[in-house]
Amino acid sequence: MEKKYTILSVILVILALGLVILPGKNERKEADPKILLGSIVEKSRYLSVDQITHRIIENDPTLLLIDLRPADQFKTFALPGAINIQPDSLLSKSIVDLFTQPGKDKVLYANADLISEQGWLMCTRYSLTRIYIMKGGLNEWYNTIIQTQVVKPTASSTDLDLVSFRNAARMYFTGAGNTPEARPTASTGEKIEVSRKAPAAKSGGGC
Amino acid sequence: MIGPIISSGLVSSAWDNVFAVFLGMGFGFALESSGFSSSRKIIGTFFGYDFVVVKVFFTAAIVASLGLLYLSYMGLVDYSLLYIQPTFITSAIVGGIIMGIGFAMGGFCPGTSVCAAAVGRIDGLVFFGGMFIGVFLFSEAFPLFENMYYSGSLGPKMINSVFGISPELFTFLLVLMAIGMFYGAGWVQGKVKKIDY
Repeated sequence: MEKKYTILSVILVILALGLVILPGKNERKEADPKILLGSIVEKSRYLSVDQITHRIIENDPTLLLIDLRPADQFKTFALPGAINIQPDSLLSKSIVDLFTQPGKDKVLYANADLISEQGWLMCTRYSLTRIYIMKGGLNEWYNTIIQTQVVKPTASSTDLDLVSFRNAARMYFTGAGNTPEARPTASTGEKIEVSRKAPAAKSGGGC
Repeated sequence: MIGPIISSGLVSSAWDNVFAVFLGMGFGFALESSGFSSSRKIIGTFFGYDFVVVKVFFTAAIVASLGLLYLSYMGLVDYSLLYIQPTFITSAIVGGIIMGIGFAMGGFCPGTSVCAAAVGRIDGLVFFGGMFIGVFLFSEAFPLFENMYYSGSLGPKMINSVFGISPELFTFLLVLMAIGMFYGAGWVQGKVKKIDY
């Protein structure tokens, strides 16, 4: 082999060895306060329960659900594929390694938003990225996806589609059949008040 | 563009297509200047008389790995923002076998066939046309393959995490492997009868 290739090979090995022996990066830097404040103000950290449900059903491999509730509640019920992490161990080394793996959207949830918000703030403060919150937590997920919904007679087609999706999702998660009340049909119990205009006065003549 | 430049918000995603055009031109230029528009050069890997394909791709892999890890170490690239294509292991294996057969038979992979077609090579044009027929047939018959296509989902899997080692150590091992391969390929090439093309 030519000498130049030998030299290039040696340089590559030295560079690669450098990566292995370089001291590990110190603890993650704290986020700049301005950036942190900006992140708190903007609401892009929230993902709706519908968005999360859609991604669960689609088996989205980039979704990583983090359940921040106590272990006993997690054992009783958790969203499919979720992993249970206690909020006080969120910044331990193994968890940070999990959170820094590329290509994953980490979505935090608890029963409501408070614990998820705290977890999100801790992670964001330590410059962890792609951290999201399932808005409303598991309570909202239950109320929206599992509870049967009645559609108003005046509902738009978008709302009907959304309820259709939720009904399908309910069947996906619970195995419940498509019961009459689960169908996105307009409810008949509510009577629509129709106000009629008084007839206009008849014209006296004509052509 | 799916790299960390746009994900980090430094550049608007509206630049996606502009980046794509320039990166595509650079990629095409690199392929053509490495001789990748010649099917006989590419097929040399399978017959042992020319290992330029393996050498170029291994060099690209180790240079990119080293660059990325050093930039990440210096804080210039946020490694966690990289988009990693999700792994579907069954379709990867089946697709790999089909691609390997096509590669050995035609002497091109999809990228190099475009390159060969662009410089007017007839075999490249035929391969390029065949590729589109294959894409069309696959799209039409997709419902038949859908279950297999999406089976074995492993998510965005990194090979170092499969072995339970750090990306830095894996890159070091990859560099050693690449250099071993460069020397091994040179040795094999010396043993095989030279072919003029």
